[in-house]
Amino acid sequence: MSKRILVVEDQEDLRAILRDYLAASGYTVIEAVDGAQSVAKAASERPDLVLMDVQLPVLNGYEATRQIKGLPGYTAIPIIAVSSFAMKGDEEKARAAGCDHYVTKPYSPVQLLRIIRGFLGDQL
Amino acid sequence: MSSHVPTPGVERDLSAKVQELERELTEARQQQAATAEILRAISRSQTDVQRVFDTIITSAVELCEALQGAVYLYDGKLVHFGAHRNYSPETIEVLERMYPRPPLPDQVSGRAILNRAIAQIEDSLADPLYVRELALAGGWRSQLAVPMFRNGEPIGAIVITRPEAGPFSASHIELLQTFADQAVIAIENTRLFEEVQARTRELTEALERQTATSEVLGIISSSPGELKPVFETMLANAMRICEARFGHLLLYDGEAFHAAHLEGLPAAYRELWERGPIRPNPNTGLGRIVRTKRVVHIPDLTADAACSERDPLRLATVELAGARSFLSVPMLKESQLVGAIVIYRQEIRPFTEKQIELVTSFANQAVIAIENTRLLNELRESLQQQTATSDVLKTISRSAFDLQNVLDTLVEAAVRLCAADSGLIRRREGEGYELAATFGFSEEFKADVTTQIVVPGRASIVGRVALERKTVAVADVLADPEFDRHQWQKLGGFRSTVGLPLLRDEELLGVLLLHRKEARPFTYQQISLLETFADQAVIAIENTRLFEEVQARTHELQESLEYQTAIFDVLSVISKSPHALQPVLDAIMTTAARLCQSTQAHVRLLREDGAFHIAAHRIHDPELLELLRTNPFRPSLDSVAGRAALRGVPVHVPDVAADPLISGFQRSISDRVRTALSVPLKRNGVVVGLISLWHDHVQPFTQRQIDLVATFADQAVIAINNVGLFEEVQARNRDLTALGEVGRAVSSTLDLKIVLKTIVDRAVELSGTDAGSIFYHRQETDRFELGETSGLDEEVVAKFRKLDIATGQTGLGEAIADRQPLQLPDAMKRASNPLRDAALEAGLRAALVVPLLGSEGALGALVLQRRRTGEFPPSVVSLMQTFADQSAIALENARLFDEIARKSRELEIASQHRSQFVANMSHELRTPLAAMLGYAELLQEGIYGALPEKFLPILMRIQSNGKHLLGLINTVLDISKIEAGQFKLNLGEYALGNIVETVMVATESLTATKKLAFKTDVSKQLPYGLGDEQRLTQVLLNLVGNAIKFTDAGEVRITAGAANGHFTVSVSDTGPGIPPEECEHIFEQFRQVDSSNTRAKGGTGLGLAIAREIVRMHGGRIWVESKLGHGSTFRMELPVRAPIAAGAE
Repeated sequence: MSKRILVVEDQEDLRAILRDYLAASGYTVIEAVDGAQSVAKAASERPDLVLMDVQLPVLNGYEATRQIKGLPGYTAIPIIAVSSFAMKGDEEKARAAGCDHYVTKPYSPVQLLRIIRGFLGDQL
Repeated sequence: MSSHVPTPGVERDLSAKVQELERELTEARQQQAATAEILRAISRSQTDVQRVFDTIITSAVELCEALQGAVYLYDGKLVHFGAHRNYSPETIEVLERMYPRPPLPDQVSGRAILNRAIAQIEDSLADPLYVRELALAGGWRSQLAVPMFRNGEPIGAIVITRPEAGPFSASHIELLQTFADQAVIAIENTRLFEEVQARTRELTEALERQTATSEVLGIISSSPGELKPVFETMLANAMRICEARFGHLLLYDGEAFHAAHLEGLPAAYRELWERGPIRPNPNTGLGRIVRTKRVVHIPDLTADAACSERDPLRLATVELAGARSFLSVPMLKESQLVGAIVIYRQEIRPFTEKQIELVTSFANQAVIAIENTRLLNELRESLQQQTATSDVLKTISRSAFDLQNVLDTLVEAAVRLCAADSGLIRRREGEGYELAATFGFSEEFKADVTTQIVVPGRASIVGRVALERKTVAVADVLADPEFDRHQWQKLGGFRSTVGLPLLRDEELLGVLLLHRKEARPFTYQQISLLETFADQAVIAIENTRLFEEVQARTHELQESLEYQTAIFDVLSVISKSPHALQPVLDAIMTTAARLCQSTQAHVRLLREDGAFHIAAHRIHDPELLELLRTNPFRPSLDSVAGRAALRGVPVHVPDVAADPLISGFQRSISDRVRTALSVPLKRNGVVVGLISLWHDHVQPFTQRQIDLVATFADQAVIAINNVGLFEEVQARNRDLTALGEVGRAVSSTLDLKIVLKTIVDRAVELSGTDAGSIFYHRQETDRFELGETSGLDEEVVAKFRKLDIATGQTGLGEAIADRQPLQLPDAMKRASNPLRDAALEAGLRAALVVPLLGSEGALGALVLQRRRTGEFPPSVVSLMQTFADQSAIALENARLFDEIARKSRELEIASQHRSQFVANMSHELRTPLAAMLGYAELLQEGIYGALPEKFLPILMRIQSNGKHLLGLINTVLDISKIEAGQFKLNLGEYALGNIVETVMVATESLTATKKLAFKTDVSKQLPYGLGDEQRLTQVLLNLVGNAIKFTDAGEVRITAGAANGHFTVSVSDTGPGIPPEECEHIFEQFRQVDSSNTRAKGGTGLGLAIAREIVRMHGGRIWVESKLGHGSTFRMELPVRAPIAAGAE
């Protein structure tokens, strides 16, 4: 069974790119469009990795990360923050919330895939 | 020896004794003469020169404001370190080790002594000769030395020091000179004192010697050579040996024979000789011995001429004494007949040759004995005289300065020793000679002599001595044809007299005169003794004169020191209270009254009303003070002060009551003011005051006192000038302070109300008026409106505010129209208008209106108002104009500031909007861009299936343009962050080598495309840095990107190293280079070297600006080195550890 990645992104285009690319790369993609949904999806689906956009409606990415990491037995699930702010302090906030990594938009899908594979211990 | 026969041995002994006595006598006389030279001036001033020096150096250091000071004394060879002040114990030790030493130019004292001139070392540390360490240890920099001279020869120097470098002021040099003079006076005084001490010691020693001599002589005189036994023995022996019946020893006085000893004479004949001296006739035996001075031998007295002539002596000899044979042997002294030994036989029997020879021998013995005795007597007499002289000397030395006692003693001793009856001393006073001392005068005689002054002339003996200046001896005044003081001769009954001049060098001080009632001339010996007394009198007189001189000089010195101290006192008051006249005048009053022993003193000063008012006084009599205050003073000749005011010079009236011109008020107080002194205070030749000093009894002021008061007057004028200057400066300062305050208010506060209130307050305060206000002119309504006010009641202000002041109606309008200040001396005299009426109602009569003129016409007016009528002085008008200008500036400033503030606020808001917009925009732009790039990448990756070959380059172009757009957006975002102050570093550990590697990897493809060589030169073992790795990568990427972009051929090289805690990174290229004038500007925003290039090469022109900001935030710097045509090198220098503050937040 292929590994499952929860992509949390409110922009449909970006979600589609990741969905297409990650699926093509052999992963099962679960999607969430806001922070609250991401926590619910994570709890019900138990993904192997989470790609978390920071700027989200309803519940922002930091808070969502905090809640997911707070779920029993979820601490070890890697969460990669994705931000378009590129403002100072963003990375710290992300790491403080419990994110394991941090990338800024616009990211190269190829590079992002490399990071994901690294976290999941898959062949590059 | 039982025999009385003289032998030649005895004769020799006696001769030796005579010689010895003669020598002793000579010695005694020499000593006596020597004693006469001894006495001298004796000063009683017990000056302790060290204490004087201490005082002098203490005062010198204090008054010259010096750090330290010392007195150096020079003995002609070595300089000695003397009294000193304020030196540290260590410095004193060093100086005491150094001195005494010869005067050398490496010390300032040495310079002053060597050059015989004032010496200064302005900076001891910079002086090539001076011992630098000494100055450092002692703490001084500049030094001043004033030499001290005696008789033109240097005897030392006074030195003072200061801690700072630089020349001493002329006044300090002058002051130190004064102290040097005082030190010289002190040295002189002490020297004089010590000399007197030395002379006194010499005198004491001489007296001791003489006393000893007297004692020796006294012992000699206690065993006198008695003549009578000698004669007795001698005659007895002669008679016995010559078998004579009787004989006698006669002494001859040049005219007659006296019997010295008679032996065996018959009674009748004995009686004859005892009756008195006998003058023998020439033919007698004795007569013949007088004539021939030889032995006379008459074998038969009855058989020669004398007998036949019936000479009485011969008859007596033959008949009374029965004498027949006669032998007479002369006693000769230096071939003078002094006596004879005569022996007789009563039978006719001649004496033998042997017998004659023996008697001759006896005669010689007798002569020696007589001489011996005479010498002894003379010695005794001399001894007496010496004792008397000693008494006189003792008197002189014991009462050295009681001249009368000395002269009295002298006269008495002279009279007694010279066997005179009376004596006197007259001393010269001008042309005449006045009685100074007498002895042995009757009251009547003395009274007569005292009242008369003798003048030089031949009529009196004193006059004659004065005329001839030598000793005059008159054996008998009654026989003197020129003597005509018969009144005195009758009163005193004198006959012989002698007068001696009292001469000091060539100067005749007086005459010593002695009288004797009998006509018996004074002997040579007596006169010579008197000369000694005359010398002693001269010495005593001279001694006293010197003593009095020393006393006078000491007194003068004290006085001048006292005066000097007084002057210094007043000076110190002036310096302590430079702004107040009263303490100075009070000090002058106290000091002047004290030093002039005045009972009353006061100072009048000329005031604005043209009258002289009492400004200070020392008048204890309240009634007199009241009289002075109530009687107006006027310059006139009828008062002392009036004269001084008129003439402008000190006026001194020793006795007001005796001055015929004194009248009026001064006359009316002449019972309280007898002696008056008034000294004018002159300022620029004008009498501005008077110092007056009064005695309530006749006691003229001395010239020194008058000079002193004149000095005080000068000091008072100095103080008046000082105070005047000070007040002027104060006034200027007040103006300046006010202006400064206003200026500060104008520049520091933009609150117009505060500025204008300050101006109005200061204007009222400085002009000394009652009220002031500022009126604004409203152009739109052509009305005035009250602004800020000062000195007006709220009620009045409220009233003013309600007024409708049309421009044309008032003085305000007039002043604005004329564009200059308007004086309104009296509102009563002006036509009614609302403002004028309101002002009058408030009691304000006069006004000064100064228009406030701005660049765009009249802004308003500054108005001063006063209750008193009259114009405002020009100084106030000019000050108000300044204030008006300030007010106008303030008004203009306020207007301009308001405008700027408004615009700034608008700009700020606009700027904030823009930044936010840019930030939002860039974010919004990136999201779709991310999608575009993402899809392009996925297409290229073949996620959506394989694409036809020809699509791939197009896809690459989409990607590259998208990335370029992203770069542009990032740059704009960075700049907007920098502008918004949001640009912050994200600090962390980094490896510079990794950054270089990352940049190289990222740009390698670009260099490859352009066929450029890409080289890196990175030092091994670079330390880890602290900084923002991402940002630093951005900087280096930018530099390398630029290098690649602008270089068409050659290479791009990155070097990285570390030194002194900094990384040094450079990026070099072989591109076209940058013109020097551009190197400075290239890091500014939107800057590209050649704007035509921008299009060709692309770029926003913001990259270097961002790079510089990033480097700056890391605490480093970035710059470019370039030469046109030779490529460029961008260098940056970064602290290995960026300051933590750079990444704060």
